[in-house]
Amino acid sequence: MLDNLNARDDGGDAGRERPRRASEQSQPLSDREVPISSSGTATSEMINSWLDGDAPEPVAVNAESARQIDLWRRIEQESERRRHLVTPAHVKAQIMAALPADLPQVALPWWKKSIQVSPVVALAAAAGLVALGAAIGTSVRIR
Amino acid sequence: MKTTVPTSPTDQLEVDQDIISRVLAGNRDAFSILINRYSDPLYRHALGMTGSPDVAEDILQMSFIKVYQHLAEVRGRFDAWVFRIVANGCKDWLKNIRRTHLSYDEDDQPSGYSTPDEELDRTELRSDLDRALMTLAPSLREAFVMKHVEGRSYEEMADLLGTTVGALKMRVHRAREALQALLEEKYA
Repeated sequence: MLDNLNARDDGGDAGRERPRRASEQSQPLSDREVPISSSGTATSEMINSWLDGDAPEPVAVNAESARQIDLWRRIEQESERRRHLVTPAHVKAQIMAALPADLPQVALPWWKKSIQVSPVVALAAAAGLVALGAAIGTSVRIR
Repeated sequence: MKTTVPTSPTDQLEVDQDIISRVLAGNRDAFSILINRYSDPLYRHALGMTGSPDVAEDILQMSFIKVYQHLAEVRGRFDAWVFRIVANGCKDWLKNIRRTHLSYDEDDQPSGYSTPDEELDRTELRSDLDRALMTLAPSLREAFVMKHVEGRSYEEMADLLGTTVGALKMRVHRAREALQALLEEKYA
């Protein structure tokens, strides 16, 4: 059984929708995810479309929108300047000078990695294996 | 030594892999090619996120050292991997720092403005914009910087940040709304 994810189908309201306001009808649905405040300071959809590169620079409809467009034109000029900033030359040299002397280690899977074992550890491991084998042999003979 | 970044992502991947192989084979100097290929956009990102050239340089240096140490672990796109390292470096720095004022070095970049009034106005906007950016949540600032300062497309941003175009559009729009609210009283 599948969950009914459409709440509008519940409660006998199937097929009924709240009538859309005129302002909503003129807006693409995708733009409604952007919260627009009612204070009049919100970035308008036209300005966002322009700054996103989806539309040409909007024509100001009133003094307020003209000021907003001018502000964003200036911010864009500043952004454009920053877009051409390059890494200071000395930084690259500093990075190269600060690199560790050791070469980066190639990551090998554990079964390909070499292990270093001292003779004492090797003897102890061998003795342990012999003891384990003897114990297993004894228990098998007893059965 | 300046290497041109190929346009095709596949070409770019292959070139990066070739350079990485050379470094891993012992050619340490080949690492400078990777630095030349990617340092500028990464520096702009760090500068946009921190607002400080010195901090941006430090983050870039630490990030590239980390990249060098873990170069053998690169799987897939090198540019996306190194971007994540720098972006995380910026976020870590932002978590640990509390600042009252930071601004770009004015002498660093040549001016394209002719009159002293315009230059003064521009300098003021620059520092005001920096201050306003610093008030944004890191995720909003990151989205704004990537879109406006780095000039990336939403698709590219989504690819690098591992999120959706819709979510990033929302972040950028919210960042613009906040910046406009902060700046328009003075400038609009």
